[in-house]
Amino acid sequence: MTVDLDQYVKPGKGHYIALGLEGSANKLGVGVIKHNIGPLSQTNRAEVLSNIRDTYVTPPGEGFLPRDTARHHRNWVVRIIKKALIEANIKGTDIDCICFTQGPGMGAPLQSVVIAARTLAQLWNNIPLVGVNHCIGHIEMGREITGADNPVVLYVSGGNTQVIAYSKQRYRIFGETLDIAIGNCLDRFARTLKIPNEPAPGYNIEQMAKKGKHLINLPYTVKGMDMSMSGILGYIDQLANDMFGKQPKKVIDEVSGEPITPEDLCFSLQEILFSMLVEITERALAHVNSNQVLIVGGVGSNERLQEMMKLMIQDRKNGQIYATDERFCIDNGIMIAHAGLLSYRTGQTNLINDTVCTQRFRTDEVFIKWRDD
Amino acid sequence: MDSITLPYSLQLEVPFETAKQAIIAASTLSPDPILKPNEVSVNYKSDENKLICQFQAVSDRVIRVAVSNVIENIKTIIECIDEFDGKEDQYFN
Repeated sequence: MTVDLDQYVKPGKGHYIALGLEGSANKLGVGVIKHNIGPLSQTNRAEVLSNIRDTYVTPPGEGFLPRDTARHHRNWVVRIIKKALIEANIKGTDIDCICFTQGPGMGAPLQSVVIAARTLAQLWNNIPLVGVNHCIGHIEMGREITGADNPVVLYVSGGNTQVIAYSKQRYRIFGETLDIAIGNCLDRFARTLKIPNEPAPGYNIEQMAKKGKHLINLPYTVKGMDMSMSGILGYIDQLANDMFGKQPKKVIDEVSGEPITPEDLCFSLQEILFSMLVEITERALAHVNSNQVLIVGGVGSNERLQEMMKLMIQDRKNGQIYATDERFCIDNGIMIAHAGLLSYRTGQTNLINDTVCTQRFRTDEVFIKWRDD
Repeated sequence: MDSITLPYSLQLEVPFETAKQAIIAASTLSPDPILKPNEVSVNYKSDENKLICQFQAVSDRVIRVAVSNVIENIKTIIECIDEFDGKEDQYFN
């Protein structure tokens, strides 16, 4: 039996259109997606009508704070919604549902965006609202874009680090970070080195890492299926402070005798963190007997991570890696529209009192009604 | 919540163009719980075309913070109304 996805189609219409609003961290995204009736497949793909994003960028050495991020979202949300509607060339009456990120994420930014969602839904003859789990948004968009049908999902971003596998209508967490997220670890190290946050701190670390040659010794902290990163960050932060602090101390590579550079630090940090991710992902593949890996989340756009994952997966029979580019990897509105629309098509709508956002919202809390495999 | 009376109170009245807009504003603001319910409470309602927000708090400091947050949200609501009210049947450009 396959899931009937068309019980809720508007009479006389052959498609659905959803507006998605995302604002759980420093990206504000609005997207419009279109599904034609019938199950999604290689021949019936979701259609991205627009995908607009505006990022709140802080000066080098500074992170984004909830209050300031919320202010950024409030300043831009209406303009970005308008831009997304213009680019999609749709009008309000075309929209089947308005989807918004209900969590997890930063409280104030989430709340500032849901206010716009609620107002717009009511203004336009009570368009149904659909609350979406941010992680589910990443997973479903990744599956749709890459065509991976049942992959092990590595979800790596500024706020999350999880290895996920689907089983019995839930995306189940196999392994995750025990403390900080991988993107948070990279971003904070970027702050230590005062690397610019434009376009993204992780991107700048990646570029510097390409020039690194010497691998320094860092702690390796896989704990079963989970991993810990705050100790590594503390260690390398200390090292960077010793090297570039008030009394700079030269650190020499033991093998070549050459001095260690900031590029070497970026390189070493990436190598050690990504090796840990590869290890737990490989173990998850063995557990669920899968040979597909889908990488989603902002850190997923890192090409070195994709390359290392590829080396691991190539050794497995029919192994395949799926990744998307920055349009879909980095937080965006379209993934919220897509996952929300799937949920809407299986009957989810949130009453207005049921649209309160929550900072903690685990991936496995969501019942995946639209899959039955 | 009405049974507890806190020492400080303030009423904010925001006039909208229509009663429908005021109702929408009240129901957009209502769902979100207040962060420190034992220190401050807010009640939203509409009266014809007016949005009425009633604040009660343990101190003037707390009330100021709460009012400031609500005003920020009202600004988003008003901007939404300005741009989108009555325009569900038109294309934007």
